[in-house]
Amino acid sequence: MLRANNIALSYGNEPVLAGASVSVEAGQFVSLVGPSGSGKSSLLRAVMGLQKTTAGTIETSGLKQTEIGILFQDDALLPWRTALENVALGVRLRGEATRCAFKQAEVWLERLGLAGLGGRYPRELSGGQRKRVALAQVLCLRPRLLLMDEPFASLDAIVRARVTQDVVDLVEGERIGVLLVTHDLEEAIALSDVVYLLSNGPRAHIASHYSIPIPRPRNLVKARSHPAFAPLYERLWSDLSEVVDGSRRLGVAA
Amino acid sequence: MKVLDRVWLRQLLALAVVLALWEAAGQAGWLNPLYAPPPSRIAAALFELFSQGTIWSHIEATFGAALGGLVLGIVVGVALGAAAALIPFVAELLEPVMMMLNAVPRVVLAPLCIIWFGIGLGSKVALAFVLVTVLVFFTVYTGIKQVDRRLVERVRTLGGGRWTVLREVYLPFVTAWIMGNLKVAVGFAFTGAVVGEFVGASRGLGYLLSFAQSTYNSALMLALVFLIMGFVLAIFGAAGKLEKHLLRWR
Repeated sequence: MLRANNIALSYGNEPVLAGASVSVEAGQFVSLVGPSGSGKSSLLRAVMGLQKTTAGTIETSGLKQTEIGILFQDDALLPWRTALENVALGVRLRGEATRCAFKQAEVWLERLGLAGLGGRYPRELSGGQRKRVALAQVLCLRPRLLLMDEPFASLDAIVRARVTQDVVDLVEGERIGVLLVTHDLEEAIALSDVVYLLSNGPRAHIASHYSIPIPRPRNLVKARSHPAFAPLYERLWSDLSEVVDGSRRLGVAA
Repeated sequence: MKVLDRVWLRQLLALAVVLALWEAAGQAGWLNPLYAPPPSRIAAALFELFSQGTIWSHIEATFGAALGGLVLGIVVGVALGAAAALIPFVAELLEPVMMMLNAVPRVVLAPLCIIWFGIGLGSKVALAFVLVTVLVFFTVYTGIKQVDRRLVERVRTLGGGRWTVLREVYLPFVTAWIMGNLKVAVGFAFTGAVVGEFVGASRGLGYLLSFAQSTYNSALMLALVFLIMGFVLAIFGAAGKLEKHLLRWR
């Protein structure tokens, strides 16, 4: 579904990524973890076409650009549009009649527990509700590949757990491929089928990747008590520390 | 007292007390009527203006000039501000000109406008126009530069092109900025119209003010000041209502 091969990209003369390869299959949940500044978000933006690459190829075989959805850390809802209008916007931009777009938007709002809140402006919604509206806005377009850049980082623990479980249920139900950028190793293991670890930047690359053998459908609370969870977490944490400490040592030596 | 819990009632009461004290001081001979005529004389002057019916043509002239300058100023200010914000070359040309116009106390342009456009409506519209255009230019220019890039990116990732971004993001964002400055723009438009009439005109509230000044008619002058104040406050009220309606999402 998505194959990013040997991606390199830079900001001006500053190289960020140097040869990162990631792949996502249909219905597969893939996470990208790594130290700050390793280019996780940049890689995601490159897949979406928001960031130019300097080398490598991005193949989205069988996928049209319109079948890729992205969810940023900020919900970025239009403040002058109601929740319903925000959700319907993407559908309208795809050429659907306004009435039809509103109908679809209503269905998604209801599915995400926001029935009756369609007439509210973003400022009248809580952080969790706004995040759900942003999610409905993307899912309403029926993406086959969903890119998420720490979408729930700003939410409090309880709301975050609930919204994340909603996403997992939807993604499993619709067989959507997901590429998630996160700093949270526990979240990465609990959600994913594969976790990629990026090395420290600049010139970051994929240092390692891990298959997660926790079965689906997944309950995020129960996933954490699966026998494979703790050893994986320890391994990932140790590898991440090595990646960070190793670069520090190199930095000192240089 | 329950009745005095309302702010507007307390304000009205305070105004009534000030007017009563002013009237009493005038009647007692403590105030020289040449400089500070009592409210009753001002009210009589105001009544006379309306009862004779001649005031309407002056009101029409001032409103025509102010609203003409306001509408033209908004249209041109929005167009130039948007062009400067979106095209760097236009900004290089326009920014210094607007900075200079902004630095000049714009009422000093009034005599120049009279020379260029005559003592008719044109010179007053021109002055109100310059005042409003500069304000709106900077409002739109700054507004567009501060548009939230995340919203632009969001609309693009949802499939929107350049026009969609303009319609869905820039236009509402800039409208909010303009609405926030609309009251100031209305004030500027009336300043331009009245000052222009004051400097040289054959009609308008500014012309009447100039006439009252030349005849040392303080009662008429104060009546006109209160009349202009009333009109501008009424327009402020309407602008406030429009702002509340258009920016109800805030």
